[in-house]
Amino acid sequence: MKATIDELEGNVTKVVLDGRMDIDGSAAVDLRMNVVAGSSTRVLVDLAGVTFLGSMGLRSIVLPAQAVRRRGGKMALLNPIPLVEEVLKGANIPALVPIYHDLDAALAELRA
Amino acid sequence: MPEDDPAHAIPMQLTLRSQLDELARVSQWVETLTHAYAIPNDTRYSMELCLEEALANVIRHGYRGDADQTVVVKFERRGEREFAFSIEDSAPHFRPFDPDEPPQEAEAVNLEDIVPGGHGIRLMRKFASSVEWAPLEPGNRLSLGFVVPNAG
Repeated sequence: MKATIDELEGNVTKVVLDGRMDIDGSAAVDLRMNVVAGSSTRVLVDLAGVTFLGSMGLRSIVLPAQAVRRRGGKMALLNPIPLVEEVLKGANIPALVPIYHDLDAALAELRA
Repeated sequence: MPEDDPAHAIPMQLTLRSQLDELARVSQWVETLTHAYAIPNDTRYSMELCLEEALANVIRHGYRGDADQTVVVKFERRGEREFAFSIEDSAPHFRPFDPDEPPQEAEAVNLEDIVPGGHGIRLMRKFASSVEWAPLEPGNRLSLGFVVPNAG
């Protein structure tokens, strides 16, 4: 599991996750996710490369999202594959951390 | 198991220590089983998701982090397109799965209401075809059934 960080215009931090967000994968990216959540108020998490998201992976998204929210910021999720999106929906995540399938729309929301 | 069964050389049961890093063994085992039985990717995903959730619950909550316990996971083919895993532990009875008790999880209304890890039972009921709990003396048996949809 890999996490790549990019800084985009408008102070948006994009985190690109790649691999399986199972127990091992989530543990591998938790530190970087927490650092981003503690330093950025506009966070876009690109999930296109995530092939599996389980309960541990949900924690790796929810905890940083809560941290960003407490700091007055926003987080959004981008391009999860259908199975991953189904898990996110099953845990009611999209109602609280929105999912986008269009980069421009996601960035517009984060920069608003 | 007859030699013409596609999984005749694959163990039908795993005994795990009550440690989260044991879950990697489960993933590998599920991959082997699903390949042997040509179980499609969507169903495999559901199996891994539910097993991860159920086992993490046993380790974290049932055994309260006690790393010296065991969990036994068994695989069963129930039909042409029907498969099941059962998870047996010796932890205190896990009441959220008691069929006489209603589900305890409520829909989150704001981000702070989401309890990391608190959505697991809902996910299992969504992704498994059946979820059945039975008390053991001592412990629990959780059975997760999966039916592979017809192709096309």
